[in-house]
Amino acid sequence: MTEAMWLIAAMMTALLSMGWLALSYESHWQQVFPKSASKPELKRLKAAGWAGLLVSAVCSLVADHPSMAVLVWVMLLALASMTIAMILSRRPTLLRMICPPFFVANA
Amino acid sequence: MFNSLRMSMGWVHTWMGLVLGFVLMICFFFGALSVFDREIDRWAIPDTRFEPQPMPSFDEVLKPVFEQLKPHPLDMAATAERVIGPLPDPATMKLESVYAYTTHRDPVLRIGGEFGIPNQPKDPADDHLHVHGWATVNPTTGETLSSDALKIGSEWFYPMHFNLHLTWKMLGYWIVGLAALVMLAALVTGVIIHRKLFSEFFTFRPWKHVLRSSLDLHNITGVVALPFHFFFAFTALVIFASNVYLPLSYTMLKSLHDQHEQLEAERTGLPHDKSGVAAQMASVDAMVAEAKRRWAERDMPGEVGYLFIDHLGDENSYVSIYRAGSDRVALVGEGIHFKASTGEVIREQPPRSVVSSINEFLTGLHLQHFEHWMLRWLYVFGGLMGSICIATGFVLFVEKRKAKHAKACSQGSRIVDALAVTTVTGMVMAALGMLVANRLLPVDLVGKGQWEQNIFWSIWALAFLHAAWRSSPVAKARHNPAWRDQSLLIGMLSLAAVVLNWITTGDHLIKTVFTDTYWAVAGVDLSLLATSLIAFYAAAKLRAPVVEQKKTDTALNRNKQVNAYD
Repeated sequence: MTEAMWLIAAMMTALLSMGWLALSYESHWQQVFPKSASKPELKRLKAAGWAGLLVSAVCSLVADHPSMAVLVWVMLLALASMTIAMILSRRPTLLRMICPPFFVANA
Repeated sequence: MFNSLRMSMGWVHTWMGLVLGFVLMICFFFGALSVFDREIDRWAIPDTRFEPQPMPSFDEVLKPVFEQLKPHPLDMAATAERVIGPLPDPATMKLESVYAYTTHRDPVLRIGGEFGIPNQPKDPADDHLHVHGWATVNPTTGETLSSDALKIGSEWFYPMHFNLHLTWKMLGYWIVGLAALVMLAALVTGVIIHRKLFSEFFTFRPWKHVLRSSLDLHNITGVVALPFHFFFAFTALVIFASNVYLPLSYTMLKSLHDQHEQLEAERTGLPHDKSGVAAQMASVDAMVAEAKRRWAERDMPGEVGYLFIDHLGDENSYVSIYRAGSDRVALVGEGIHFKASTGEVIREQPPRSVVSSINEFLTGLHLQHFEHWMLRWLYVFGGLMGSICIATGFVLFVEKRKAKHAKACSQGSRIVDALAVTTVTGMVMAALGMLVANRLLPVDLVGKGQWEQNIFWSIWALAFLHAAWRSSPVAKARHNPAWRDQSLLIGMLSLAAVVLNWITTGDHLIKTVFTDTYWAVAGVDLSLLATSLIAFYAAAKLRAPVVEQKKTDTALNRNKQVNAYD
């Protein structure tokens, strides 16, 4: 059960991080928000995205044997990126949920 | 020649990708299905729908089964061609070695053995002559399964992805190997020609023109799963490198290999040859218990994955017991070897060297016998990403050129499009048609498995004829309606397979999911339903260009008529 919880955590953080990384690109930001983002905001999003990916890797390592965890993590990144790309192409405004105002002023 | 590196790489990517893309499509699609090959087996052979079993007792269950094992007629015929003189009567052949293999997903057990023969080989280098026998056993009863019951997942879809069922001179292995090599080249060239690898990492614009949106999808499915694509193409080559592609130890270095075999036997204490002195076998169950005790002592308790006995009935006979690698990437390991006549431990496999561990990891990550359901589904996702990447590559090729080809009255785009339809939707139809046939053909039909195989190839051939017949609009720079036709058929076949499974076995989804849960069959049924929904959705979407095209054609005709009156 604990293993499943860690895997869910790894999946959720991967998804969240990929969302932040996507929003750190001006073109995707504009798909989601009416106002432009400032450069520091985009930088913050990028940093949060990379940090989140690290957290996701740690969750995978806690859940599984390292040899297995590395495979799980790499594949989770692929799934998360694809999910974010599909959200951006169909319902981009859904990504507003992952950008609370205290995190990005223009959100 | 080309003016820039990017253009040169673009040429390589396009043409090599196109030529071997048809093979890669087969590898990726059937590879994705192979992740759940055992589950597809359960769906196809309802008699085996029970819980996975650990390795059964050798002394009570397997020993009597091995005593009944006979040389397989297929291998008798194959061996007869390699030897001088007629082979002895199969009933008189003696078993020399046996094996049993199981995984955490197998309710049934694969067993086999080698029967010794006195014949000399036609080729003097062919020095390991045996006739093989094999069977699938129900470990709960000890009964063997009918060989007419084709395991569609593990004996048809799985080999299709690495040998295309072209076994003559191992041709299929070579074609797939070449395709894997080209895949690696396509990945490298793809990265070089991709202008905005990072900034378009999340970009998919389905509302844009088909050329743009299919390029987006091609890029995104190629890039997000790039590590998966790379490692699977690479490990595919690693797996077959030493025995198929570069079999140096069987050819140029044969004498060195033979000498190494002898030296290793001396080093490990596992006899290379028989002694010629007959001996009884001690209890194998006791050896299994000892092996499990030693694994538990090393803080890695586990079940037996592979059991092998060599030099049966001889003083030099030994029993090798390997732990199932369900909890790690490697397939099996931690082998413990016993002297068969006494049951004493001859050797405990030491920890692997770095090179051996890397090799085990690379092959294990591809063959994935581990018990990690999430990772298994992620592999299916990776395989489907590869399939979409290749399919959109075909679409791009045609969309880029069809107007030009139409002007030049060339059939190039039409041919590629027809082949693409055959390899993308036609292949899915063939796989689904096989499942439908499996449920419709009587269980006791002689050669049922062969019928299923014939139906698979026939549907695929018909899909090609249909695609070729319907593809004439492509030569006029229009859309091929065969994509929609075959999507509709996929939707119907998937639905039919689920309904037929219910009618012929009584295993409907309410039962397999809720009342008498059996995820192997439920998973296949749910995947079929999902396929059906996606196929109907795709068919509905593909209707739009056809309707638009008809409107355009009508408008054009009207204009022509008006012009004619003028």
